[in-house]
Amino acid sequence: MIHIRKVTKIHRRSQTEVHALRGVTCDIPKGAFTFVVGPSGSGKSTLLHLIGALDEPTGGEITIDGRRLAELTVKQRDEYRRDQVGFVFQSFNLLKNLNALDNVLVPYMPAGITEEKRNQAVEMLKEVGLGDRLKHRPSQLSGGEQQRVAIGRALLKRPMLVLADEPTGELDSGTGAEIYAYLRRLHQEHGTTVIVVTHDQQYISDGDLVLKLRDGRFENPAAESKNKN
Amino acid sequence: MLKFAFRNLLSRPMRSLLSLLGLTVAIIGMVGLFSVARGLDKMISETFNAIPGLIAMQPGAPVPLFSRLPTAWGDEIADVSGVSTVNSEVWQRVNIIDDKLVVSPPRFLFGTDITSRRTLKRAVYRDNIIPGRGRFLSEADRGTLNVVVSRQIAEEFNKGVGNILQVNGNDMPIVGIYHTGFLLLDVAIICDLERLREIARFDADSVCAFYIEADDGVDNNTLADRIRTVFRGRDVQPRQTSLLPGLGLGGSGHPIIQLLRQLDGWLKSLSPPKPDAETPQNSLSPTGESSGEEPYLPTNLDAAATQQELPTELEAGTSSAPTQQRASAESVDKPSPIEIRSAADWAERFEDFAGDLDILLGVLTGIGVTVAVLSIVNTMLMSVTERIIEFGILKANGWSKTDVMKLITFESAIIGFAGGVLGSLLGRFVAEAINWYFPTRASLYASPGLLLFGVGFSTALGILGGLYPAVWAMRMMPMDAIRRG
Repeated sequence: MIHIRKVTKIHRRSQTEVHALRGVTCDIPKGAFTFVVGPSGSGKSTLLHLIGALDEPTGGEITIDGRRLAELTVKQRDEYRRDQVGFVFQSFNLLKNLNALDNVLVPYMPAGITEEKRNQAVEMLKEVGLGDRLKHRPSQLSGGEQQRVAIGRALLKRPMLVLADEPTGELDSGTGAEIYAYLRRLHQEHGTTVIVVTHDQQYISDGDLVLKLRDGRFENPAAESKNKN
Repeated sequence: MLKFAFRNLLSRPMRSLLSLLGLTVAIIGMVGLFSVARGLDKMISETFNAIPGLIAMQPGAPVPLFSRLPTAWGDEIADVSGVSTVNSEVWQRVNIIDDKLVVSPPRFLFGTDITSRRTLKRAVYRDNIIPGRGRFLSEADRGTLNVVVSRQIAEEFNKGVGNILQVNGNDMPIVGIYHTGFLLLDVAIICDLERLREIARFDADSVCAFYIEADDGVDNNTLADRIRTVFRGRDVQPRQTSLLPGLGLGGSGHPIIQLLRQLDGWLKSLSPPKPDAETPQNSLSPTGESSGEEPYLPTNLDAAATQQELPTELEAGTSSAPTQQRASAESVDKPSPIEIRSAADWAERFEDFAGDLDILLGVLTGIGVTVAVLSIVNTMLMSVTERIIEFGILKANGWSKTDVMKLITFESAIIGFAGGVLGSLLGRFVAEAINWYFPTRASLYASPGLLLFGVGFSTALGILGGLYPAVWAMRMMPMDAIRRG
């Protein structure tokens, strides 16, 4: 369960302050497939980054499975990102010097990559349809293939939480559907909590939790969150 | 992670290469410069190892060329218990060979007492006559101008055994050619001592130095102490520093000599008075009589310009018995009239010089190294700035700050290590090339220790250069990094 309480985030750029989040509160149940939707600049991505401990809120509190992120040490935050959260970014964010296989294994590089982990990574890439692209670098892969590598990297750790920021933003609709299919399968097979930030609401299905943000606030403050339907 | 760091460097080949070259050049410079000092150390050490005996010289004289001692002291030294052989030496700077002005490398006429030289157990020139290229001086060469020259001198003037070498206007037949392999030794043109005295107008009662060989089983230090004891307390005027003898200008009437004589006297007047100068009553005139007035202070100018006058100490040495000289208690405080040096003493003196040289070389190297470090900092900073997103991604995937820092430091360390290896190897090559190109003038030595130091130092510089960019990248929050990118 993710509890978000009165979270604010102010981005400071020289003399200017941008209020990205203005005290949002909501709960995301464990195992929910969640969409955060809203117009550009509404604070969707900021909320996602705060949940993933990629950034720190200016105020408020985020609790993941009973652990308050603000109270985690730097090391615990690193471990949280490495072991429990899988990120999928709109621009894939692959490392161009590494091939597909090594990109998937990036989280494990500092500790050393075991043969077992390498085999798992190969299997993961096969699972997302890239069995014949293991040694290809990002520049040699299509956008859809790159995003599948990014998904492979996010899923190899069997995370409890997958955070996807506009995962199909740079893909055509067919490839975008494939990406969602992978995310849905992960959600169904492992009960992973998935939070997707998107403009595109065509992939929202029955039973998904949808959070609508506008100007840094949820549009339905009474309920804070609701199920579509 | 090392592999990843290596790939990152390869992905920016030109920038990595330029940074590598910057460091390589700095390390080449460092190895090259320090190989000068190491070469000097090695040359000195090897040279003096080839001369196992003791050398008795005038106190304060840097080398035998500038030293004057009474000839008669040789007999007194020979009487000291433990002395096997005493060989008298006279040195003179060579100014002209075969009508060619000799400046660098310097050449010296070395007059030796042939009889005693031949009885030495180890004699570096005698023992290094090149087989098939003549012989060393023999009794038959006494009173002649026959010479033995180094291979370098023979090659330089295209001479061989049987040819005449015209040295300072004297025709000197070459009877042998030697090769010691030591830059400091292969400068001598060896001839009979008495004949050299004549042609150099060198005082008959003086020599430059005595080479002393100990009996088997007698320690050099012990023997040196015994010799010092014999001469302790003798009235002597220590040598005063003068640049004049080294200039090789003959003739006291030479206008430059006269000018320099005045300058020399003025410089000496600025130096603190020596004990002897304060007690003129102890000084002797050139005839051995106490003047009671201003003492006769033999200078090197006197010796070099006229080569005729007998220094005060020579008179003292020849006119007083050692037992008389040692009689008074106050004589113990007087400066020793003779300096006995072993190979270790020479090496120690040169080590002091090399230490000073190291400071200078360190400063020069420091300039090069600073430029190299700034180059690495610049390269790594640019690399880090360009890769901010990458570090954000790594952090988003659980890399800790330390992991990111390690990656950047690895990259700069690889540049440092590679620069060190390349720089050290090329530095060694440059040193060898200089030695090969200037065999008679240069003796550079890039020791394995220096090369290893070069590699270690360069790696440390690489790490240092990458540290600031690494810390800078490390401090950013993952999303800050991704956003900035």
